[in-house]
Amino acid sequence: MLNVTMIELTAYALQVLLIILAIAIVVHRNNGTIIILITSFSLVTASLYIINKAPDVAIAEVAIGSAIIPLIYVISISRQREFIVLDKAMDDFIISDNQFTGVGYILLKRFTDLYHLELNITNDARLCSLGAGRDQLLCEQTNVDLIITKDEETNTYILKGKKSSVLLQKLDSMAKDYDNIEVVQFKDRDFGD
Amino acid sequence: MDPILTFVVILIGFYGLSTSTNIIKSVFCVTIIESGVILLFLNLGNLDGGTIPIVGEGVTMIADPLPQALMITTIVIGSTVTALALMLCIKVFHHYGTVEWAEILRREEGK
Repeated sequence: MLNVTMIELTAYALQVLLIILAIAIVVHRNNGTIIILITSFSLVTASLYIINKAPDVAIAEVAIGSAIIPLIYVISISRQREFIVLDKAMDDFIISDNQFTGVGYILLKRFTDLYHLELNITNDARLCSLGAGRDQLLCEQTNVDLIITKDEETNTYILKGKKSSVLLQKLDSMAKDYDNIEVVQFKDRDFGD
Repeated sequence: MDPILTFVVILIGFYGLSTSTNIIKSVFCVTIIESGVILLFLNLGNLDGGTIPIVGEGVTMIADPLPQALMITTIVIGSTVTALALMLCIKVFHHYGTVEWAEILRREEGK
């Protein structure tokens, strides 16, 4: 005669399922698949919390563990590959003949393809209206990676970014082929941490 | 419920943490360990087989409510730790151009 109740049987089945899901998360390579697996992992742990007589913890786990944490992962994985460029020059450096065929665009596209980045060029009016003296502050305090400005006298384009970035040193060596492009790297300032 | 099976989940998390080559993968493994620890705490507070901790008439044995209150805090703090770790991961990617541990160490030594 079986002397285990239905609840105990369910608990064992869920625990074995939990171990299988944990192994699947550890061995999988694709981040998109792992996000789906971690959502189901959270739902299985929430059912185990209820079996352990803790419904309040189960509510918190369903709300946070299986809704907010996958959202955080999705946002951060999609944001990670973004390379944000602020175009202050706004002439044919990026867009010529209403198409993305400018010299600067081709250089930046070559550079971002090298690192499998996603190029995102913006000319946000609020950020562009700030003076040139505040470019370094803009680089440090917002998520802008590169700022394009134009020197009207010498007719050269200046690309500004943070010096600590390895990406920018590569861009500097790539831009040496062009005469009218100059890369300026801001030094890291010590914030006294 | 068996605390040994819960402990296996924690060990799988530690195995993944020590063998992962990717920063994002390490953050996933921290999430697994956290879930395992919560389950172990709740399991140890409920070994005698009580009921849900709401005291009423005819209720003699309840599950220990103290670990449950602590574990709600753990879930909330765990989500913020995940968010902070992933934010640092994005910063590392923009600094080194990769999120592989070995590649980051190689570039740091090559400077």
